[in-house]
Amino acid sequence: MRPAFTSARRARALLGTFVEIEARGISRRGLDAAIEEAFHVVAEVQRLMSPCDPASDVSRLNREAAARTVTVHPWTHEVLAAALELQVATDGLFDIGVAPPGRPVPRSTRPAIELMDRRRVRFLRRDFSIDLGGIAKGFAVDRAALTLHARDVPQGVVNAGGDVAVFGVDESTIAIRHPRHPGSILCRLELRNEALASSSGRIDLFESSAVMAPAIIDPRTGTPARAVLGATVRASTCMVADALTKVVMLGGERVAALLAHYGASALFLANDGELRITRDWWGRVRLAA
Amino acid sequence: MSPSMPSDWIRVVVPAAIVMSVAPPGYATRYLTVDEAQHLAFPAATQFVEAHVVFRPSDVAAIERLSGQKVRSRGQQVWRAQADGRLLGFFIVDYVIGKHLVIDYSVALETDGRIKAVEVLEYREPHGGEITSHSWLEQFVGKTSRDPVTLDRDIRNISGATLSSQHVTEGVKRILAFYETCLH
Repeated sequence: MRPAFTSARRARALLGTFVEIEARGISRRGLDAAIEEAFHVVAEVQRLMSPCDPASDVSRLNREAAARTVTVHPWTHEVLAAALELQVATDGLFDIGVAPPGRPVPRSTRPAIELMDRRRVRFLRRDFSIDLGGIAKGFAVDRAALTLHARDVPQGVVNAGGDVAVFGVDESTIAIRHPRHPGSILCRLELRNEALASSSGRIDLFESSAVMAPAIIDPRTGTPARAVLGATVRASTCMVADALTKVVMLGGERVAALLAHYGASALFLANDGELRITRDWWGRVRLAA
Repeated sequence: MSPSMPSDWIRVVVPAAIVMSVAPPGYATRYLTVDEAQHLAFPAATQFVEAHVVFRPSDVAAIERLSGQKVRSRGQQVWRAQADGRLLGFFIVDYVIGKHLVIDYSVALETDGRIKAVEVLEYREPHGGEITSHSWLEQFVGKTSRDPVTLDRDIRNISGATLSSQHVTEGVKRILAFYETCLH
């Protein structure tokens, strides 16, 4: 960070993980206020989209939208619209639909959700609910970065447990953790005005240093993804990167054209131990070792 | 989604050395000092008066009942944020400790006990007397030719397995129960 600027790095427990904001600004007071507002935005996304909060838009939809139309916050509407578009584009590999326990979601490229005018939403099937866990974190990161930018913060990184957005003129280095060896780095990447997200397991560090199995469920079979150990996607927005990591986890090499459609790059570690990197990204990935 | 050619992907055999590759798990980081966090939470405060509340057995029972969390400490460090003698709120520093990670965090409370701010102050490895298990970070430090300072500066942002924040969320519940029991 350049000495002429003041800089700050903060972390808060949000979205089930640690959201970290690192930013540079002209004045200390302005920077503190901008970071505070960015965290507030992330907390707002959590309040709207957490399935654990009974008052969230997601909980309200899951309780009521099969019976009547439900009006949601513009941000929830925006995330739902993006999710439905991704569902169609990925031929159902990305799906926010959740089936009752034990049953796979009937795979469909025709979403079971209807978005109506004035931010109203209804479900077209009973016995159906949604989970925005695969996309809302990326959306929150984008919103936080936009908030900082709108507050005249010239340079910053927002990192929500590996969902990262980088903005400003300078590059930032992001290290990718090895999906099997969490203390090791698989590779490093330089990012500037773009976003990156990864999918692999969760890590607790309280009981153990082991990475827990990924929670990505294949909507076609109702079983967890196994062929890919971990995937990382670069895209222009973190929301798209976040969603596409799940698609790479499930589709592996077959999704290259889809990545190109979204202007995204990807790498993934297959369970044969080989790393696959999209051709456009190959030159930018710095392998550890 | 049209089928793509295999040539869209470059295949890379991950070097064997990668497993030995050196990196902290990413979270041995200081964000804020206690002093900085206090002033960030209570910018109008002119004084932070420190106290150490020693728990009575009945306090422990009440906190555990209210929060559903085990109380492991004998007391709680707490500051009264004041301006010209007037109480603005409370500032509490706490930590949650696990096998491989300690997180120091602060909770700023309004005078009526509403949460004003929760900040992560520091992630660190459990040290010395805190825990006896083999040092997890140690496995990754000292096996490198790189300057550790460079390493630290280089690896500021990590993507990959998502670190859970559940323990801090539980810790905050315990702090709120502490307020109800001892400060209210």
